[in-house]
Amino acid sequence: MIRKKVLFLILTLLFFIIPLTVLLLQSISAPWRFHTGQGIDWGWQEYSTLFQNPQLWEATFISIGIGFAVLFINVAIGLFTGKALTPYAYRGKAWLEALLLSPILIPSLAIAMGLHLFMIRVGLADTIWGVMLIHLVPTVPYSIKIFHNSYQQIGKAMMEQPHILGAGFWTQVFTVELPLLRPAIRSVTFLTIVISLSQYAITAIIGGGRVLTLPLVFFPFLNNANTSIMAAFSIWFALIPVFMYIIIEALMMFLPYSRLPWRNHR
Amino acid sequence: MKLFKNRTFLLFLPAGIFLIIPFYGFIHAVIQSLGGEGLAHYEEILNSERFLSSMWFSIRTAGIATIVSIILGLGFTKWFHPLLTKTSPRLMVWIPMLFPHFVWGYMVILILSETGWTAQAFIAAGWLEDTSNFPVWTRDPQGIGIIITYVWKEIPLVILLLLPVYASIHPEYYALVDSLGGNAWHRFTTVDLPNLLPVLVESFLIIFSFTLAAYEVPALIGTTFPEMISVLGYEWFYGSSWEDRPLAFAAMVLTSLFLLVLTLMSYYGLSRPKWRAMRSDRP
Repeated sequence: MIRKKVLFLILTLLFFIIPLTVLLLQSISAPWRFHTGQGIDWGWQEYSTLFQNPQLWEATFISIGIGFAVLFINVAIGLFTGKALTPYAYRGKAWLEALLLSPILIPSLAIAMGLHLFMIRVGLADTIWGVMLIHLVPTVPYSIKIFHNSYQQIGKAMMEQPHILGAGFWTQVFTVELPLLRPAIRSVTFLTIVISLSQYAITAIIGGGRVLTLPLVFFPFLNNANTSIMAAFSIWFALIPVFMYIIIEALMMFLPYSRLPWRNHR
Repeated sequence: MKLFKNRTFLLFLPAGIFLIIPFYGFIHAVIQSLGGEGLAHYEEILNSERFLSSMWFSIRTAGIATIVSIILGLGFTKWFHPLLTKTSPRLMVWIPMLFPHFVWGYMVILILSETGWTAQAFIAAGWLEDTSNFPVWTRDPQGIGIIITYVWKEIPLVILLLLPVYASIHPEYYALVDSLGGNAWHRFTTVDLPNLLPVLVESFLIIFSFTLAAYEVPALIGTTFPEMISVLGYEWFYGSSWEDRPLAFAAMVLTSLFLLVLTLMSYYGLSRPKWRAMRSDRP
């Protein structure tokens, strides 16, 4: 068991912790040129250069806005569908699940290209709304899956009890289901936001380059900017999901039966 | 009971409306790939050397990346799942999931390119004389950079998907195999595999269809020849000549059809009675 632990630590250090640490170090120092024999210049100037770029802030706000909207729709669709899939076993359920999963099996590039003309026709192309819609395609199937699993874990009895006690649909959702679905909401928050932040091609197609999200700023920069600024930018990409996660966590404290940190508890 | 059924139908409504988006998009991609000229565009790309080599390169690269990440992820989960029940080891493993794919690709360039950290560290340590001696692993014609990025990024996903399955396997089954004289291989094939198979197939499909057709990573870390199908399609879509657009649609539709056939085959294979019996599925 101890040997296993040591091996686990070595592997995670080597492949997960060290790269992240080096990225952090790179972001707070000038580009490295070891062979010239220079030392490392530490400093925050990479971040200040990055933040002076007005495009970065605009893109950050747009990305966060899209992220929250996509997350909200994901939670709504995931919750209802997960609830609907759970209680009965019926013929063709496997096929229904496959159908709900299929949007992530069809290349999103094909879908975005196909929707492009339609979006122009209804006036959604080059708008933030069109981008939100297309970002639903690679995220919703995951959310449905996560909520479906959670509902299965909660179990049928837990769902029948409030029904028997006379709770209406929304009372049941807010007082019983949402508090129990907290872990699912956490996973969905992370997944949707990271996936939404990962979309360059479909955002470029539907947004027409006018909707400036973070990948659209990051991508063209890659080949010419200096490594330290890009490292700082990379760290920025990871901070946004963390920031949004904290907000969601704070919002979830308003759910019934939450432990509030400023209250005494046993 | 009838009322109950109606309610369930209402709950499916949001998902049903959502499904219109991808299906409408896909059907229109098919229509525009035909362009009123029948299968002419398909004939054209199927006769084009560039499309065929790109398709082969994509399937090969995505296939290797998927299989390697599933094998390594499975090994990692099997070996370490008791440790992964605690929160902090789990968070360490999931670090790559915090970054978008192309950011992780940039990281691979920083670490493994010819002037990257590893090369510089090796020179500083005196193991390497010059950066030109470092192997070309990024922007290489073999797709090594693409494979490394995807494997690194997808292993945590595989672990995430497999962990609940391993947590739900009762250890009594292993004891049963042991008492019947089975070895470690029997334990894996008779206990783990039937439980894991649906998840493994699903992970394969999710990762393979993503890596086959995603644009960002190959555009960043690949070369111009051979190129992945997504890069070629994107280029045709935004290319200089308007006439290439139907080719872009045809290329992406063919990729989708390939993935759909693969999905149907695996779902059909999974529903075979033999596997259902081994999982003791309730019908």
